[in-house]
Amino acid sequence: MSAFEGCPGSRMIDLRTPETADDGAPSVTAPSQLRQWPIQLHLVSPAAPYFQGADVLLAADCTAFAVGAFHNDFLKGKSIAIACPKLDEGQEEYVEKIRALVEDARINTLTTVIMQVPCCRGLVALAEEAVSRSSRKVPVKAVVVSLQGDVLSEEWL
Amino acid sequence: MDPTAGTQTDQTDRSAAPFLDLPIKEVIARFPQVGAILSEYEVGCVECGLGSCLLRDIVGIHDVSPEDEEALMARISGVLFPGQDLRLTLPRRTRPEEATAEPTATAGTAATGSTATESKGGTKYSPPVRQLVGEHVLIMRLVNLIPRLLAVLNLENPADRELVLQGVDFIRSYADRFHHAKEEDILFKYFDETKDIIRVMLTDHDTARAHVRAVEAAVSAGDRAKVAEHLEAYAALLTEHIKKEDTILYPWMDRQLSTAQVGEMFRRFAETEAATGPDFAERYTQSLERIEEIVRKREESEGGV
Repeated sequence: MSAFEGCPGSRMIDLRTPETADDGAPSVTAPSQLRQWPIQLHLVSPAAPYFQGADVLLAADCTAFAVGAFHNDFLKGKSIAIACPKLDEGQEEYVEKIRALVEDARINTLTTVIMQVPCCRGLVALAEEAVSRSSRKVPVKAVVVSLQGDVLSEEWL
Repeated sequence: MDPTAGTQTDQTDRSAAPFLDLPIKEVIARFPQVGAILSEYEVGCVECGLGSCLLRDIVGIHDVSPEDEEALMARISGVLFPGQDLRLTLPRRTRPEEATAEPTATAGTAATGSTATESKGGTKYSPPVRQLVGEHVLIMRLVNLIPRLLAVLNLENPADRELVLQGVDFIRSYADRFHHAKEEDILFKYFDETKDIIRVMLTDHDTARAHVRAVEAAVSAGDRAKVAEHLEAYAALLTEHIKKEDTILYPWMDRQLSTAQVGEMFRRFAETEAATGPDFAERYTQSLERIEEIVRKREESEGGV
C-alpha cells in the first residue's frame, strides 16, 4: 500500500500475508555464519586477519533483514562489512576503506549485495570507485535483492 | 566438476537410465525426433560438430530452465519409450555455494519461501573468463584475416614469407602459449578434464598446433598450396572452437565456479600475465595491427587503388 509517491527507498509497503503470520510452528535455529566483529564499514579494519585474502561481502544494511536465509546464502565463507549508501556519512572514507581491503588486505573477491531501491545502487558505485582507485584489481559481483528477499540479479561487474 | 552435480536421487526408471549415458549424437541418430525437440528448446545439438556430450549433461551444459527441463525430458521420454510408462529424470542441479550450504528451507523468507540461489538471474562472464573472451576477439581478428592474406600471398616474395611467419608467431605466442595455457594450466584444472566437452577442446588445441607446424614447414618448403590448406583448416577449426567456448563451454564453466574460485583464477591469470611481461598483450596487438596494415596495403596495390 502506497502512502506517498516520494522516494522509492522510503515508500511505505505492507508485505504482510497470511503466510507470514505466526502459524504456531516451532521456530528453527539457523547457526550464525558470522565470523568476525565489528561489521560496520566505518568500524572494520582492513588489517584484521579475517580480511586477509578473504572473499568479502559488502552488504547494504537492509539486505540481511530482507533475505531470510542471508547467513547461508550470502555470508557463509565470507568476511563482511555493512553500510547504507543513502544515510551513512563519510562515504569518501568508505571508498578509502574498500580500496584498502583490495590493495592492502589483498582480498580475493568483493561481493556487493544491495536492495532493489535505486538509492542502494550507491553502494555498488562506491565499490567500483574503490577498485578503480586501487592498483590491484579483484572480481566484483553485484547482487540485487527484492524487498521480499528474492535475488533479482546476480552478475560479475 | 560435474555439470549435473546434485544432491537428490535420480528418479529415472531403471530400464530407462542407460539412455542418459549415451552420447547425444547417438541418441539423435537413433531417434531424429529428439534432435528436433532439442532445437525447439534452443539446444543446438543437431548443428553441433561434437555431439559427444551425454544426454544427461545436455540440460546442465545449456542451462535449460527447470520448467523447460521437465517438459523437455518428458517429450524425449515419449520419443524413446513410446507407449510405455518410462520417464527420464535428471538429478537437481546445484551451484557450488548451494551444494555446500546447510539446508535453508526453514530459514527462507516466509512470504516467498525462496532462496537466493533459486532465483539467480542471467549472468555475465566472470572477470577471468571475460579476459579469455577478450583474447578470443584478438585471435579472431587474425583468423578473419587469413582469407585476405591468402588472396594476396606470394610465397616467392621473402616479405610474404616473413608475413606468414609473423602470423605463426602470433598464433604460437599469443593464441597458444598465452591464451591456451591459461585454459589448460588454470581454467580446465577446476573441472573434470575427462569430460568429453573438455577433451574435445584439448584435442582442438593439439590439432591447431599441428596445423601451425605444417604452415611453418610449408613456408620453408615454399609450398603455397600447403600453406593455404593448413591456414584455412586452422581458421575453420578456431572459428568453431571459439564459438563453442564463448557460447557453451565458458557459460557452463562460469555456472559451476564458486565465487572463491573465480577470485583465485583471476589472481592466477594476473600472475601468468605478469610472468609474460606487462606489455606482452600490447606487443602482440601491435604485431597483429602491422600484419593487417600490410595486407590492406597489398590489397590496395593489387586492386589498383
